[in-house]
Amino acid sequence: MKNKTIQKSGLGARASRRIGNTIIYIILTIITLVWLFPFFGIVMESFKVNVTGMDGELFPEKWGLDNYTRLFNDTDFLKWFLNTALMGVATAFFQTLFVLSMSYALSRLRFKARKPLMNLMLILGMFPGFLTMILIYKVFSEAGLTMQMAPVGLVIVYCASSGMGYYISKGFFDTIPKTLDEAARVDGATRMQVFYKVIMPLSGSIVIYTILMGFMAPWGDFMLASYIIHENSQGMSVAVGMYEWLSKTMLNTNYTMFCAAGVIVAIPVTAVFLGLQKYYVEGVTGGAVKG
Amino acid sequence: MRKLTDLEYLKLNKFQAFIYNLKRFFCAIPGWFLNLFLAIGRFFVKCGVAIKDEFVDIGTTFIKGNWAVKTSFLVFGFGNLFYGQIARGLLFLLFEIVFFGYMFVPSGGIYWLSKGHWFQAGATVGSVQGSFQYDAIYDTDVWVPGDDSVKVMLYGLLTIVFIIAFIYTWRLQVKQCRICMDITAQGKRIKSGKDDLKSLVDDQFHKTLLALPVVGILLFTVLPIIYMILVAFTSYDAAHDGYSNLFSWVGLKNFNELTDFGNGGLGLAFGEILSWTLMWSLFATFTNYFLGMFVAIMINKKGIKLKKFWRTALVMTIAIPQFVSLLYVSKLFDSSGIIGESLGSIPFIKNYLETNHYISLWDSPTVARALVIILNIWVGIPYVMLQATGILMNIPADLYESSRVDGASPFQQYVKITLPYMLFVTGPALLTSFVGNLNNFNVIYLLSSGNPINTQIGSAGGVSVGHTDLLITWLYKMALGSGESRYYTASVIGILIFVVCAVLSLIIYNVIPSTKNEEDYQ
Amino acid sequence: MANVKLTNVKKIYGKDTVAVQDFNLEIADKEFVVFVGPSGCGKSTTLRMIAGLEDISEGTVEIDGVVVNDLQPRDRNIAMVFQNYALYPHLTVFENMAFPLRLQKMPQDEVYRRVTEAAEILGITQYLTRKPRALSGGQRQRVAIGRAMVRDSKVFLMDEPLSNLDAKLRNQMRAEIILLRQKIDTTFVYVTHDQTEAMTLGDRIVIMKDGFIQQVGTPTEVFDMPYNLFVAEFIGAPKMNIVSTQLVREGDKYFVTPYGAKIEVTGKKAQLLKEKGVDSQEILLGVRPEHMTLAADNDSAAIPCTIRVNEMMGSELHLHVVEYNGDKLIVRVPTVALEDEQRSNMVSGSTIHVTFEGKVMHFFDPETHINLLA
Repeated sequence: MKNKTIQKSGLGARASRRIGNTIIYIILTIITLVWLFPFFGIVMESFKVNVTGMDGELFPEKWGLDNYTRLFNDTDFLKWFLNTALMGVATAFFQTLFVLSMSYALSRLRFKARKPLMNLMLILGMFPGFLTMILIYKVFSEAGLTMQMAPVGLVIVYCASSGMGYYISKGFFDTIPKTLDEAARVDGATRMQVFYKVIMPLSGSIVIYTILMGFMAPWGDFMLASYIIHENSQGMSVAVGMYEWLSKTMLNTNYTMFCAAGVIVAIPVTAVFLGLQKYYVEGVTGGAVKG
Repeated sequence: MRKLTDLEYLKLNKFQAFIYNLKRFFCAIPGWFLNLFLAIGRFFVKCGVAIKDEFVDIGTTFIKGNWAVKTSFLVFGFGNLFYGQIARGLLFLLFEIVFFGYMFVPSGGIYWLSKGHWFQAGATVGSVQGSFQYDAIYDTDVWVPGDDSVKVMLYGLLTIVFIIAFIYTWRLQVKQCRICMDITAQGKRIKSGKDDLKSLVDDQFHKTLLALPVVGILLFTVLPIIYMILVAFTSYDAAHDGYSNLFSWVGLKNFNELTDFGNGGLGLAFGEILSWTLMWSLFATFTNYFLGMFVAIMINKKGIKLKKFWRTALVMTIAIPQFVSLLYVSKLFDSSGIIGESLGSIPFIKNYLETNHYISLWDSPTVARALVIILNIWVGIPYVMLQATGILMNIPADLYESSRVDGASPFQQYVKITLPYMLFVTGPALLTSFVGNLNNFNVIYLLSSGNPINTQIGSAGGVSVGHTDLLITWLYKMALGSGESRYYTASVIGILIFVVCAVLSLIIYNVIPSTKNEEDYQ
Repeated sequence: MANVKLTNVKKIYGKDTVAVQDFNLEIADKEFVVFVGPSGCGKSTTLRMIAGLEDISEGTVEIDGVVVNDLQPRDRNIAMVFQNYALYPHLTVFENMAFPLRLQKMPQDEVYRRVTEAAEILGITQYLTRKPRALSGGQRQRVAIGRAMVRDSKVFLMDEPLSNLDAKLRNQMRAEIILLRQKIDTTFVYVTHDQTEAMTLGDRIVIMKDGFIQQVGTPTEVFDMPYNLFVAEFIGAPKMNIVSTQLVREGDKYFVTPYGAKIEVTGKKAQLLKEKGVDSQEILLGVRPEHMTLAADNDSAAIPCTIRVNEMMGSELHLHVVEYNGDKLIVRVPTVALEDEQRSNMVSGSTIHVTFEGKVMHFFDPETHINLLA
């Protein structure tokens, strides 16, 4: 074999890096524009005046807050918004309680039913959860937890089985060294003291992640909510209520109002989310490794 | 097929090695299912042995037990009381009293069980049909309620659960009673109620933690799923809602409908929708996976500035509730939407739409399917990007440095280092997201609602089926969207979805190396 | 302060993986006992059974005369130092050390007194307000020891406490543990895989392999009279040379005949052989590298060897040599005993003659590998 001579192959190292970076910046800019375009569009639509349906224009011809005033004066939107926000808070609380208990027990404690329990949950997870609604709706309507009381019923639905979503937080707990538990137990702690004196203080990020997920759940859920609410305006969440506005019959009168409502919904949720983004990223990343 | 030794394998060239691995892969498939069935078999054998052991143990307990132990075979908690575990004993006793009370009072457990006509094909669930009868006081026909099939089935089910709990509790207290006897014989102290409470924060802490979540799962997942499975064997729908019209047991009739491959037949519809669901899931998972990773690599490249800005811009799509963004985006592509309108004015597309008499892009099956997949990229990339970012940062930098010294180009680095590492680490997550996409209700329902209608199938399961319908949106429409509300068909499809998920999980689990050992990452 | 007694202790993982068995040991009050052995020998498992972190499958563990099998770790009144320190990352050094005291609900002034006292002894007073991650490995180790010290525990357990430190720091901490032991005067159980640590720290050493105790004894006992081949090879570095050869009895005298040389057994070993009435037989002969000496070529006890590697250790040379049969031996030669010219001739490939010291040989049964004199 001939010896390779040392020579430049093509462009120099620095020049090719600069070209590469420029291409990346261009691509990233395009991606960002594409990704943010819908949000920009929604905001623009919401400021349109005298237009209620789709007019095929991006920018408003005339700017104004008509859609917003209509939203609060003529519709139950405020009610829906409060419903959803309250549901978010309640779900965040109970779901965190359930998920953390379950995942901590499965990660740190060893007991006979551990493996069978995990297998059971794995199998249950393969059934479409939506079908549990056949029974739950019937029972809830007997118990008065549908229609205008639907938010209460929905919180129960979101929380009761939430222990099954233990994977991400269990993955997190698994990464905390076991010897910390052992050291604490030798130092005289009960298992419960280990839980709240040693592990919980180290788990801030996953607790916040779980709270965040719980809070977001009612804002994003359409499937279960629409079933339980059953078209009762008093009990609606924003998702179910606003979905109606884009139906064929209402599209022409309510489209811009939908966008205005979308903006109002998006602001608090996005604010909370971006504020806690760091913890969300930690959760998602951990989950990727653990499955 | 013979397994090559390591050295023989190393001798193969790339192509031969590929063929070899492919052959081994397909040869292994029967093995997985064999293993699965063997595992199921072993499970039952284990159960059998366990039950046998239980009976033997109960027998010896009765023979060897003293009179207190023998009495507790009939009176719950007697042994506990005898040996001084007052609190436990009283609880057991209370349970027994409540159980028998519930079973034998009028309209108690026995009543509900006897009404159910369980699994007798043709028989109604519940025995008294409600009807309008003349009422002299109001001088008109009034509704005299009969049984409610839903309640009959639910209470029957609960009674069965209660009976199982009763048997378990009986066994538990007999066992405890015997343990008390043995401990006393050894001259040791028996645990008091106080010890029991104390152990709940220590070696029994898992019971404290799991009590609420597990009860929640049992009541709101396990029970409804068993109920759903039962519904698959009945004629429960809107017309037979159990209250105004009793529904009845139909045996396997609902499952037999699956063999109907004619027009509007359930079998045809299921096959069509399943194949699209799988195709969707495959595309949705892998486009997101690779593109998301690509974006992550770009953002994380050394020397790229404003990393946080790019990331946040993408993360916005996760923050804003999907029903807002997806519904809006879906309208964007409508005929009067900004994008839909401008795309529709491109001559080539305009021509296509007009010749097929489509009004908007959403009316063309092919375009609609492509659109949901493309728009799903918009939804999914941020998640993958975040996940990938975390993992990319974990890849040891010296791998890249050493490969650069060895002469690898950036592309080669990606193929030889980044990709294998990512695939290994994210294998399990990929599985989860594949199964998650099978049931990705939000994206499909909010974007296209399953439309356009599939005229070839027409309606199946009481609802019209669309080209972009997934099994889950089909189910949703079946249970809620139509007047017929064929719960029984929905249940059958639900069971099938379970089977599909289980089989897919089994296959993927066997293919991905990193799913094999939970402890590998710990 | 208490004695610890283990009776027939056995540990089984899962169905039939035996980690420890037939473990019988009585540790006296204030004794320092070291468990040593290769990884997987069951030494840590045994320690963790004493601590209550592993269930005991069979047998009993007593601390201070009380059977503790069913007691939680916190009820056993023990202190333990872990290999990776196990410091609570969210607590300061002070709170880490105070942790066990807080759990006992001890009043603050007493907590303060004890923690500062321990910190003083360990020389970590200036770090008390720091978090563990701001400390170096050695400092972390001190905090871990401090946390164990502040309690008046009956037994002090240490699970490979030095193996995460670098060599220099390890030697330093080893010396400190010896000093510490004089100060806190309690029962110590120490686990390590390092025979040097075992020899230097322990009052008694328990050598384990595959879940069984191989030998229990003082460092001198296990060094001078290893019970079997495993102990002989495990204790001492570089490890003992083992030669398969004959033991020959001629009247009252004993000879060994490695590689055609004839070497007389002398001193106490010869006497012991005589007392036991050992006859001529096949044996495995063990000779430590430091008990091999250079010999003149015409000596009847000389064995000619070829040097493969010459390791210069400073005060001594480690010569890896090959005997003409192909057996590999190691010889330790103090540098002071060599002329410069001799040293420069000891290069790879050159031939030297060595012989064994007659009074420090070990004789093992070739079948059972047990010391003939045990």
